[in-house]
Amino acid sequence: MTQTPAAPSPEPQAMPLWRRLLGYIFDVRVLGVLGQIGFILLVVFAVRSISSNFADNAQRLGESQFICRDGSFSYRCAYDFMESESGFDISDTMIDHTNTDPYWRTFYVGVLNTLKVAIFGVILTTLLGTVMGVARLSDNWLISKIALWYVELMRNTPLLIQIFFIYFGVILTAPELNEALQPLGLPLFISRRGLNFPSLQFTSSSAIWIAFLVLGIIQIQVTSVILGRREERTGQPSNRLQTGLIAFMLIAGLGWFVSSAVSDSQGLLVTKASRIRELGDMDKLMLQRTGANHLDDLAAFSEEELDAAAFQICALDDSSSETNLTRQLRKMDIPYRIRRYEVPDKAADNYASGKCEMFVASKTILAAERSTLESPSSHLIISVKEAPIVWSLPAREGLNLVGGGRMRPEFVALLLALVLFYGSNLAEIVRAGILAISKGQNEAARALGLTEGQRLQLIVLPQALRVIIPPGIGVALSLAKDTSLGIAIGFPDMYAVSYTTMNQSGRVLQLFVLIMLMYMLISLAFSVLLNWYNEKIKLVER
Amino acid sequence: MEFEGPAQSFVDEIIIAENVHKWFGEFEALRGVSLRVKPGEVIVILGPSGSGKSTFIRCLNRLEEHQEGRIIMDGIELSHDIRNIQEVRREVGMVFQQFNLFPHLTVLDNITLAPINVRKWTRDHAEEIAMKWLTRVGIPEQAGKYPGQLSGGQQQRVAIARTLSMQPKILLFDEPTSALDPEMIKEVLDVMRDLAKSGYTILAVTHEMGFAREVADRIIFMDAGKIVEVNTPEEFYNNPKEERTKLFLNQILQH
Repeated sequence: MTQTPAAPSPEPQAMPLWRRLLGYIFDVRVLGVLGQIGFILLVVFAVRSISSNFADNAQRLGESQFICRDGSFSYRCAYDFMESESGFDISDTMIDHTNTDPYWRTFYVGVLNTLKVAIFGVILTTLLGTVMGVARLSDNWLISKIALWYVELMRNTPLLIQIFFIYFGVILTAPELNEALQPLGLPLFISRRGLNFPSLQFTSSSAIWIAFLVLGIIQIQVTSVILGRREERTGQPSNRLQTGLIAFMLIAGLGWFVSSAVSDSQGLLVTKASRIRELGDMDKLMLQRTGANHLDDLAAFSEEELDAAAFQICALDDSSSETNLTRQLRKMDIPYRIRRYEVPDKAADNYASGKCEMFVASKTILAAERSTLESPSSHLIISVKEAPIVWSLPAREGLNLVGGGRMRPEFVALLLALVLFYGSNLAEIVRAGILAISKGQNEAARALGLTEGQRLQLIVLPQALRVIIPPGIGVALSLAKDTSLGIAIGFPDMYAVSYTTMNQSGRVLQLFVLIMLMYMLISLAFSVLLNWYNEKIKLVER
Repeated sequence: MEFEGPAQSFVDEIIIAENVHKWFGEFEALRGVSLRVKPGEVIVILGPSGSGKSTFIRCLNRLEEHQEGRIIMDGIELSHDIRNIQEVRREVGMVFQQFNLFPHLTVLDNITLAPINVRKWTRDHAEEIAMKWLTRVGIPEQAGKYPGQLSGGQQQRVAIARTLSMQPKILLFDEPTSALDPEMIKEVLDVMRDLAKSGYTILAVTHEMGFAREVADRIIFMDAGKIVEVNTPEEFYNNPKEERTKLFLNQILQH
């Protein structure tokens, strides 16, 4: 038996009960458990009072709102109303939408718009924030001061006010469409109707070309594996990537020609009497009509003379065959005038009555329309071959702008405001990340003879990223959620569309649950992606 | 361990510093330092803290800018011309007190970074040379690790390998052993000793007396931004000329 130590403190038994109890209560382990229990009770109470309130409201609303198609009442039918016709139009849509579509599709259009702003916003904010963050640390006085003023101005004014200012103060004061600004003569038009810009247009043969591209990418992988094996076997080095890329370009080039050659779905309907047998005949015909020796000479002709000689073409609204044909005519400097119709029959009527000499559309439409004409055999369909992807440039045509892509003013304003505001937040984070790198790192890079650009790219930014990414994720999430401010200037994002739906249907509860779920999904998707990246670039330590 | 020597230099004096002045704001850190070094010479710079010895060798590869006087390294004058500065930095290697390895790159990538990006070698060639240097500093097995996984002595040896892989003619050491535990100092000094014997021109700021005594051709003693005494190691320790030197030696040799 060990000897009992001399009693260090009064015997526990000798203490009164209340003092012993106090001793238990102030034990850190007991305090910890008590704290946990208290917190759980608090949470349970809060959740209960909120959810019972929610349940009460749902019960009260339920009788009028959770109605199934057969007239009965059930919570499972809470979203049945989404299948009914929405009855309102949306100004900015990425997919086809009409006011007869159900609420579901309307909601979907809104979600796509939200994603569009969020994704473009995050990409542009990353670029702007990085540039401005680096610029603030520049030795150049002017650059660093410009960056400083940008950051202070944007960070210290409310986002909502900035959105209003950019929309009403900047974009809506731009000129009307017919006087659209064209900076530096570029194919860019700025007006209060938005921004018209050059865009890539997919044509009927794009799919074939894209298939070739996919084949090319697979080929790079295969080449790399095959050459890698050979390298291991023979020890002979080979430039795998270069070989793969050259082969890729050959395949892509071949695909371009093949897809152009087989693209035969677009056509031009002409009378046999016009003596046009292929597109190349049109320039000869134009020379005959005008009596000019060369198409270049047409530049000297007056507006009226050209109008009289121009080919009159009927087309359908938004048809790729039209842009394709007119692109080729412009290339050959052949004057033309276009009339557009919503339905093929109208265009065909005008063609039949002789208002236009030719009718451009897809071959299937043309074949159908030709059979309705008086003597189908006296009309010809000639092929308009097209490249798989064409540049579509916006151009003035009368009071309007045609071709290219267009961003609506609400979209431009919202995107611009979000990018400018969150760019300033990100700039400060980037600056902090760069400053977090020790002086020694920069000195070692300089001492090794790296140029300033290499130092920034190889040493500073990769290390700064580790500091920048975690708070950067926060900026991306805030931006994604703040797209909902678009409702202030009428941008039809998910929230704006749902708000209209609420007003029309009265289904507030259901829609708010839906909206919150969607925002949560979007945010989670963003943060999963960024956290994965963050995990990947973490520093390895002992 | 036998080191391959540096590329041959075709000048008589590989470092020429003439009346170098350097101010940090109002404070004059260097007050007219002049020094001429022949190729292959090993020079140890001693002095109390704040005497300007680190500032001086940092001026030699333009980590600090001197405001007066001239510095000519291997025939290239350090001016405001960025091309000259880059050229000097390619020829002059520097080893720091705090190692300054790049923590986001593996040991091998730390060493090959500059040869690939500055000397424009192929990756294969750079890795071959890097492995050669890692073997020579005795840690080829650490090539795939990150700096954070190595001990201080190993990190400093990687830093030396990183500097040597650029094939410099001149090596600057800025208190390379001051941040190391005593038992790791030896492994770094061994490497430095071998470098000194294989023909590199070396300027080292260090307090390692044994090292200075054994390998230095000359010892320079600096105080208050000036060179106070230049002497052979033997004379410097046994028979210093200046009073200031004696005082300094008394202080550091007492314990």
